[in-house]
Amino acid sequence: MTDQPADHTTDRATDQMADHTGGSGRSSEPGGPARELLPTATPAETRAAVRDLLRPHRGLAAAGFAVMVGATAVGLATQPLLGRIVDLVAERHPAGALTLPVALLGIVAVAQGVTTALGLSLVSRLGETVLARLRERFVDRALRLPLERVEKAGSGDLTARVTADVSQVAEAVRTALPELARSLLSIVLTLVALAVLDWRFLVAALLAVPVQAHTARWYVRNAVPLYARQRVAAGAQQQQLLDTIGGAATVRAFRLEAEHIDRVTLRSWSAVELTMRGVRLVLRFYSRLHVAEYTGLAAVLIAGFVLVRDGFASIGTATAAALYFHGLFGPINSALVLIDDAQSAGASLARLVGVTAAPAEGHGPGRATDHLDEHGQEDTGARSAGDAAVTVSGLGHAYEPDRPVLHDVDLVLRTGERVALVGASGAGKTTLAKLVAGVHRPATGSVRLAVASDDGRPVALVTQEVHVFAGPLADDLRLARPDATDDDLREALARVNALDWAEALPDGIRTVVGEGGRRLTPTQVQRIALARLILADPPVAVLDEATAEAGSTGARALESAAGRAIEGRTALVVAHRLTQAATADRVVVMDAGRIVEIGAHDELRAAGGRYAALWEAWSDTRARHLPGPSRPANHDPQHTTNPQST
Amino acid sequence: MGGSGPSGRDVLRQAIKGQRRDVALGSLLGAGHQAGEALVPVLIGVVIDQAVAGGDATSLLVWLAVLAVVYVGLSFSFRFGARAGERAAEQAAHILRVRLVTRVVDPRGGAEDGRLPGALTSIATEDAKRVGTVAMAVMFGFSALMGLLVGAVVLLRISIPLGLVVLVGTPVLLLAGHLLSKPLERRSEAEQERTAHASGVAADLVTGLRVLKGIGAESAAVARYRRTSRDSLVATLRAARAEAVQNGLVLTLTGVFIAVVALVGGRLAVEGDISLGQLVSAVGLALFLLGPLEVFSWVNTDFAQARASATRIAGVLAAPPGVEPGGARLPERLRGALRLRGVGHGSLRGIDLDVAPGEVLGVAATDPADATALLRCLSRQADPDTGVIELDGVPLRDLDPADVRTAMLVAEHDADLFEGTLRGNVAAAASDPEAVLAAMAAAGADEVALAVPRGGDTAVSERGRSLSGGQRQRVALARALAADRPVLVVHDPTTAVDAVTEARIAAGVRDLRRGRTTILVTTSPALLAVADRVALLDGGRIADTGPHADLVERHAAYRTAVLS
Repeated sequence: MTDQPADHTTDRATDQMADHTGGSGRSSEPGGPARELLPTATPAETRAAVRDLLRPHRGLAAAGFAVMVGATAVGLATQPLLGRIVDLVAERHPAGALTLPVALLGIVAVAQGVTTALGLSLVSRLGETVLARLRERFVDRALRLPLERVEKAGSGDLTARVTADVSQVAEAVRTALPELARSLLSIVLTLVALAVLDWRFLVAALLAVPVQAHTARWYVRNAVPLYARQRVAAGAQQQQLLDTIGGAATVRAFRLEAEHIDRVTLRSWSAVELTMRGVRLVLRFYSRLHVAEYTGLAAVLIAGFVLVRDGFASIGTATAAALYFHGLFGPINSALVLIDDAQSAGASLARLVGVTAAPAEGHGPGRATDHLDEHGQEDTGARSAGDAAVTVSGLGHAYEPDRPVLHDVDLVLRTGERVALVGASGAGKTTLAKLVAGVHRPATGSVRLAVASDDGRPVALVTQEVHVFAGPLADDLRLARPDATDDDLREALARVNALDWAEALPDGIRTVVGEGGRRLTPTQVQRIALARLILADPPVAVLDEATAEAGSTGARALESAAGRAIEGRTALVVAHRLTQAATADRVVVMDAGRIVEIGAHDELRAAGGRYAALWEAWSDTRARHLPGPSRPANHDPQHTTNPQST
Repeated sequence: MGGSGPSGRDVLRQAIKGQRRDVALGSLLGAGHQAGEALVPVLIGVVIDQAVAGGDATSLLVWLAVLAVVYVGLSFSFRFGARAGERAAEQAAHILRVRLVTRVVDPRGGAEDGRLPGALTSIATEDAKRVGTVAMAVMFGFSALMGLLVGAVVLLRISIPLGLVVLVGTPVLLLAGHLLSKPLERRSEAEQERTAHASGVAADLVTGLRVLKGIGAESAAVARYRRTSRDSLVATLRAARAEAVQNGLVLTLTGVFIAVVALVGGRLAVEGDISLGQLVSAVGLALFLLGPLEVFSWVNTDFAQARASATRIAGVLAAPPGVEPGGARLPERLRGALRLRGVGHGSLRGIDLDVAPGEVLGVAATDPADATALLRCLSRQADPDTGVIELDGVPLRDLDPADVRTAMLVAEHDADLFEGTLRGNVAAAASDPEAVLAAMAAAGADEVALAVPRGGDTAVSERGRSLSGGQRQRVALARALAADRPVLVVHDPTTAVDAVTEARIAAGVRDLRRGRTTILVTTSPALLAVADRVALLDGGRIADTGPHADLVERHAAYRTAVLS
């Protein structure tokens, strides 16, 4: 554990260093993934963001504060009234004299209850409204972050912020902050009340303050780094559990049960150990607070003794002072303990503000490349087939510095053309597809689109990575086109052959699907992705291995659905199965990050280059023994019947 | 864990019993702490009475010293008592977590049926923690009881009527508070669910971020979240108002109760039945006793939550196993002969198939469901409904599933990679480092290692998501080959691999598995072409067997499944 004070600027500096140098600021864990977490706001930025959020609710904030002050002040009348009763007894008044202070106690109780209820409800209205605005702003910015940035941070970072951090801040707003406010008010007003009884009571009570202040500082200094480590350990435990439980079938198949149980035990136990260190720290903190309590209480009792002896105060006043101080234990303890919650809520808030205050993207959502609207002036409807829809020039890219995956790529996609990208795994197909789709910002060169971008997003990307959004199926589809009618949705589903099973769901297209709803098969999910593409209706579509996981029979069906989904669009298709290449207008062959061949399927096959070799490898295994008639129409008999092609 | 595992009650009892030393220590010290806290207001009264009212300095010093001793005692008992309690809670949760994972990965399977990985993980973290908390709850409950007893004894010794007023009044007060807030609580629960829903929607949208970006649906998604967030805000505000009213109500009731105590105590003091100091102590104790009684109510809530969590945990621990182990043993030296007779399961309708030792057999299924059903039976995730599968003449049903898998590896199509390095993943089940290199070369995973930043030492994160689909498949296949099992069954290992690499992998697998039984369940012609023989699985039956080339000529169904 370091002795460094809690300092958010250190995190910040590391982040910035990572931005500048790429590698050096990253995870130093041996073999660990190169992670570059999303930014965390500095305390100053966080404060500014909170001020900004509070500004529209100044009136509410002032009213809430005023009512809470009133409520606390009313409550503090209790101890002097009890003191008055002690005095009445000490002065041997008749029992009837007690009626008035007792009745006043009752009135105080009612008044305190009513004002507290009002005050708390004002404070929570303020907190909840501000919180709702914060989380909405966060989700807004989070969804608009460049995908590249999110991937660099690991998808867990954003998910953790949107779940754990938001709920941590919400929890603080709901419980810790009102409690803290009440405690602080009680403390301040009780001290004022002690001074009103006699200033010397206040001086006595304040003797406890140095011990408390020192304790709080000591605690925060030690707790912050410890909690950071606890969070890391809890994250590692969670990840290991997901790994082992999610992969249980694989664990069993490879007989890795013992190893995985060991891994879980290790991770879980290190989380337990760190928690226990935190517990020991908190308990030492309480011990020190007990010292402060005793110091203050003894001092107040001694002050009472001296003041009563010298005739400056009545016994009732001394009693009230002692009761005041005893009544301070609760608020002081909760205020100091809540520092803890406030601290972690503060850290969570800084992570949220770090995202909401991140610089926005220059152009349309999710788009990292420049949209140069060269032909944008023309009437889009008049643009004839053959005009350049996408122009890629001098494009280069590297995920890791010094490991370029794409070099100097030039490519023109003509309007309405269907181009297939072909090449071995790792040739750079996916990278090129992502750059064209605007997911990544190119390291060198540019991607220019000649399509008007005012009508939604000009390029859509459908990848293998699919997701069904939790909720009714219709709502999922409407994400692609919010104003779509049910008929539009049905039509899109019909185009990808998904209407039949969608209608057969228990509530048709209103059936709740996704997490917590009905589970869909991978093929159904893939079809939904294609239906979304139809609804989004972009002029340019990029498809990346969208059919690879469906198995052979399923792949064919999905391929024809995909074909219908990209009808009428300029399409770049990463062809995993060469049948996708054979039906494309042009084929682009990539190898080691470069384009090595471009041309129509037949041209390239005739040219006898790399594509011809690929096609042979493909058709050889498939068609060597295939009698003529059942061959697909575009297979060249000369090739397919030639057995010595390898 | 037999067929019928523990009940929720057993889980709860074991969690406490397993930590009985810490729970006992914590309860004892916690009781000491509560007794100390109860004595503080009593001592304040004594100081007022003996020292302040009488002006006796010696008595002041004596009683302050007593107060100091009480403080030292209560402080230490709290510190070490709470530490023991927390330790018990954490350890109980840890033990449950490990037990749960042990059950989930148990060779007999069955624990994850009908449960999503996320839900199981949450049971292993959140529910285990809640059950662990019971250890703390027991300790706090016992301590609070102790505090209550000390308070009661002192009060009754001061004055029986006043003591009775306080002892009857405090529970009545708390009960009234709870009764009044009950309807509010129920409402707030429903509203909390709405809030949780909003958080779920946000997480779901972020999970689908790539999809949203792909179709440019960010704005639509933001608009949807804003609606959910607003709905949840309305609900939360209602709940918060209810809670504020409840707080105010409790404050009022407490204040009225103190007024009643002051009235009764004051009258008794006026009549000389109790001293001034005793009046002060009584008022202080009345306030103090609310604490322990509050503890009882949250201990109750903790127990209710823990019971629900324990039931969920017991549900996993007692999940019926997918298959039951038999008592038979496999021969020491395995030949690797498989014999299927009349196997029916799922969509399978009586499969008869013989695989000779050392044979490379292709299985091409026209319906993916048939392939899945066959693989489930071969890996003993399920036993066939009819018929029998024999390995070297021993029915799989009579074997321990763990033994089956040691002899025969069924590498599933969607096999997960684990956290660790690329090479570490391949070597996971390998006994021989040589085998790892050979397997990586055969599966084309050596090329994957060349393509990633740190070669074989590159970390694989998020269950292999950091690799592309084709890379992931090649690493998974290399792992299956490196395990070097007498019998290997692989399912669609190259669906995301390009044609050239696939052909090379087919040859590599063929070479590496020479002389050992290997079954390739796939519709890839590249793989089927290297098999000695291919079985066509059509309509839940073996329709034909023969070399790939022959089947291509003989069967239209085979051509449709495999070619085009």
